[in-house]
Amino acid sequence: MVSVSSADESLRLCVFDLRRGQTEGQELDKILFFYPPELDLSTQLSVTGLSEGLITFTRLFSPEAACEVIEAERHSHIFYEAESDIWMVMVVEKNKETGAIWRIDALRRVLKEVHSLFVMFHGSIRALIQKEPTGELTRSQLYPFISDYLSNLFVGKKLQLPTFRETLRERGTVQMLTLARDTALEVQSLVQVLDSCAGSFRCHSMILFEDLLVSTTVPADDTVNLFTFAVMRLTSKALSSDGSSWSYVRKGPGVSEISYKSTLAPFGSIDSLPSGNGNNMHHVIRPLQDDKWKKGKDGFLITDIWGLETGGSPDSAIPTIWLQQTQERVYLLAYQYKSLTLLLLMPINAIVNGDLNVSAVKQKVIEDASLRIWKIEEKISKGWVGKNAYHIKGYRYLVVDNDMEVSRASPTGKVATLAKESLLALNKLREEVDLEKNRVKRQEKDIEICIRAKNNAWVIARLTRGKELYMALEKGSNTLLETTDTVGRFSNRYCSGAFLMD
Amino acid sequence: MATSDSSSSPSSSSSGTEFADPNPSTDPETNSERVQSQLESMNLSQPSEVSDGSTRTDYSGGDDQDEVASANGNEGGVINGGLVHEVVAGASGGEEIDASLRAENPVEMEAGEEPPSPTSSGYDGERGSSGGATSTYKADDASEDEIREANVDGDTASQHEAAWLPGKRHVDEDDASISWRKRKKHFFILSNSGKPIYSRYGDEHKLAGFSATLQAIISFVENGGDRVNLVKAGKHQVVFLVKGPIYLVCISCTDETYEYLRGQLDLLYGQMILILTKSIDRCFEKNAKFDMTPLLGGTEAVFSSLVHSFSWNPATFLHAYTCLPLPYALRQATGTVLQEICASGVLFSLLLCKHKVVSLAGAQKASLHPDDLLLLSNFVMSSESFRTSESFSPICLPRYNSQAFLHAYVHFFDDDTYVILLTTRSDAFHHLKDCRIRLEAVLLKSNILSVVQRSIAEGGMRVEDLPIDRRRRSSTTDQGQDTVGPEVSVGTGGPFGIWHFMYRSIYLDQYISSELSPPVTSHRQQKSLFRAYQKLYASMHDKGLGPHKTQYRRDENYTLLCWVTPDFELYAAFDPLADKAMAIKTCNQVCQRVKDVENEVFLQGASPFSW
Repeated sequence: MVSVSSADESLRLCVFDLRRGQTEGQELDKILFFYPPELDLSTQLSVTGLSEGLITFTRLFSPEAACEVIEAERHSHIFYEAESDIWMVMVVEKNKETGAIWRIDALRRVLKEVHSLFVMFHGSIRALIQKEPTGELTRSQLYPFISDYLSNLFVGKKLQLPTFRETLRERGTVQMLTLARDTALEVQSLVQVLDSCAGSFRCHSMILFEDLLVSTTVPADDTVNLFTFAVMRLTSKALSSDGSSWSYVRKGPGVSEISYKSTLAPFGSIDSLPSGNGNNMHHVIRPLQDDKWKKGKDGFLITDIWGLETGGSPDSAIPTIWLQQTQERVYLLAYQYKSLTLLLLMPINAIVNGDLNVSAVKQKVIEDASLRIWKIEEKISKGWVGKNAYHIKGYRYLVVDNDMEVSRASPTGKVATLAKESLLALNKLREEVDLEKNRVKRQEKDIEICIRAKNNAWVIARLTRGKELYMALEKGSNTLLETTDTVGRFSNRYCSGAFLMD
Repeated sequence: MATSDSSSSPSSSSSGTEFADPNPSTDPETNSERVQSQLESMNLSQPSEVSDGSTRTDYSGGDDQDEVASANGNEGGVINGGLVHEVVAGASGGEEIDASLRAENPVEMEAGEEPPSPTSSGYDGERGSSGGATSTYKADDASEDEIREANVDGDTASQHEAAWLPGKRHVDEDDASISWRKRKKHFFILSNSGKPIYSRYGDEHKLAGFSATLQAIISFVENGGDRVNLVKAGKHQVVFLVKGPIYLVCISCTDETYEYLRGQLDLLYGQMILILTKSIDRCFEKNAKFDMTPLLGGTEAVFSSLVHSFSWNPATFLHAYTCLPLPYALRQATGTVLQEICASGVLFSLLLCKHKVVSLAGAQKASLHPDDLLLLSNFVMSSESFRTSESFSPICLPRYNSQAFLHAYVHFFDDDTYVILLTTRSDAFHHLKDCRIRLEAVLLKSNILSVVQRSIAEGGMRVEDLPIDRRRRSSTTDQGQDTVGPEVSVGTGGPFGIWHFMYRSIYLDQYISSELSPPVTSHRQQKSLFRAYQKLYASMHDKGLGPHKTQYRRDENYTLLCWVTPDFELYAAFDPLADKAMAIKTCNQVCQRVKDVENEVFLQGASPFSW
């Protein structure tokens, strides 16, 4: 069993509310979440105290944007104001020997991701606090949620945050499957069937093949969150947990179970989660709990995370999620056939009011759509070459489309063939680009940077019209002009010429 | 001396009245107090020290250690006329700085000894200059820019110096004023007990509370077993540098790199050491609440001119120096005299023209770091008194030996050209004067001073003078169109859109920068180019990764190219629309051109010391 002792300083993560604990002696009330939870309270308070002090201090000079990061000799403190006055701060230990070299923006995206997922299942933190002002409800939901999320970041016994080795990855984006034209048409007609399978109530749907998005009718931000969750817990790969996933979201098999027990240590057994003073037991849902989804006989995925259906029926209760863009709560149904996973979102009101019957919807999906599903799965599988599908020989790349929140990258296995120096140089370059992007927020930046690193590798960044391209080319013999041509050919062939290289 | 009496008042005597006023202001808007109390409430700051620094009113009262410091501050500055002497006097009186120091360094200096010089140092006149600068306090950043933009042609360095007025600005502000908070770049020096030593803007004494907050942040992180380097918030960066008992902080929203801002703090610290030596640490060991401000009184112009150089002088980030272009034979002739002077027991002898080197020499095995040269010339150039008479002044070269004073003999031959002779001997004034007379004779005989003046007037290399390779150009443009190609017709900069370049010889520790010419003319444009270069430099020289080899970087403002080789580094700026292939070729031409004229633009390694 992994024990995260307080001496282990590799990660500290806290969530605190600046509006709470204003009076002296009440500071502890600010803290809504702290990892590792067994860390002594004075140390927890010193983290939030320093954070709050610096938030106030930096506002003297920069009222519009308070503290974002503290770089110290041994640690980086990454700040993220998730909601107004609700801050998440992550403190990570730097260690060059173990490769703990980070890009701050990549770490901030971890904070953003965990918060977005939390809101998707539980609604905003502020709303929870308002619902139950002692904060116990919020804490009781946040603790298991973030712990379950973190358990996902364990590789073996080690918590693995996105280091420079993942510099050709972009968290918080969706990875798409490119479809042949005829398949795309068939997917489109399937989507129409799915969206209308609740009769007059319009459904949203999302289709994934393995860990790639095939289609979505969910608004963009919600697509990203739902996609992240699906890849973590729902797709065929997640269910089989064979550990061969090449997505950044998931790591090696079977480790998460060990780690969540340890992170939840202070709460005793998993089933009796914290409840403050014991009188007001909150119903705690742990949507990110691992190994809780199974494929039912009818092809629909089932879980008891949301409890069992009331009325003694053996069916599990149906999960609900909160769509941020439309501000509505919807039921989430997941159907799986081989590598194809379909997510169906139905308006909760329709079902609560009894206008809609879940089993009827399920039945309708099976009747109307299963044939199409099988056909599409077969077609895609036939053309699917596996995890190296998007490998392009000679290139190690990442393309990000910020408007669409989509990215595509070289497969992890191929990126791993790059020399450490090349990855570090690219990571550093991305950090510089992040700085430039932050300076001109919401303004589109047009930059082209080509660097020949000490080890002769070329690292390249190209930003234009909301799109970003990062590349490492280990062809040391190439001149700057040849390198530019190489990048230009990539852009023309695979990015519709989006990244014009002058 | 009479001038120093009156002009020293803004820094030292008024401080007495400032301290009589409870500080910081009780204005509830003073957020720094809140921050501090927040840090205090976490029990991890040092509340006793902090509150002592921020709220104490009884300045001249009980603490006798402080009495010594304040007595020096109020009297020594006027009577001795030299701050450095005050340190020494303080040392003999109460602090006993030097007894052990002398054992470990070669400087022969007696504690409390008065250098037997005619005009003892630059400080008294210095006071006069900062006093004079009070009249320019109202010139704010904007008008400063306007002044500079008015002079677009000619030697930029000279117009900067002509238009830019040294001295401290906005003394009436403190951390409660909105205008103060909105200043783009603050520099603070404070002691580890939170006492203010220097602030670029505002009166140090009024910033005691703010200073205590900075101290609280640093010690808070230190108590957690770490050391804070940088805090970022939006466009603002707060950069920290701890040097023993001295804390330096920069708060900036200038889009400079962290590495460079930290380098600036390092230079600021070096400038302070140049004036006081590192033996100042001892004062803090003896008395944590030691008040250093009186020791630096009158040196505002030195610091403000250094801070100003951070935005125009490439030496501040290239860590190299630049020479005034001169015929090889003339520089050699000068070098020979300087070499002879060094042979007579002088540590370093330098002939400088503004911040550029005409020639220099050093005693055997003594090498002068480019940063020391920068700080030294800044000190001499920004102190008005050096210009009025020959001076003999104690000085410390932080990179050479941060613990010890040297003695600098300074004499200006004309407005721009001056000699600095550095010795370890405090009784060498007359010898150095003789050396200067010998040098002057040679300079006059070979007419070097007028050649120097001509060189200043003509300026250095210009991108417009780069040869245009017509064959190459016509190969890329249409045949027959070889009168004026599109790249040249822009009418600005050099061939193929080159705007500017800097070439740094690694072996020589020297750089050459082309003259700023259209379209990089306004002060704003120059500053922007300067910052683009710094970013490029920082990007190329990452500490962990070692230098990259090549970089091409294009954005909406520039196309930048950089080469780092074992021999040289080249930084070049082009029109953002410049053709990549042509830009590369132009860079090769620049390198060739510099090699062609290297005997005129660089001081060649004739000196026997190790560069």
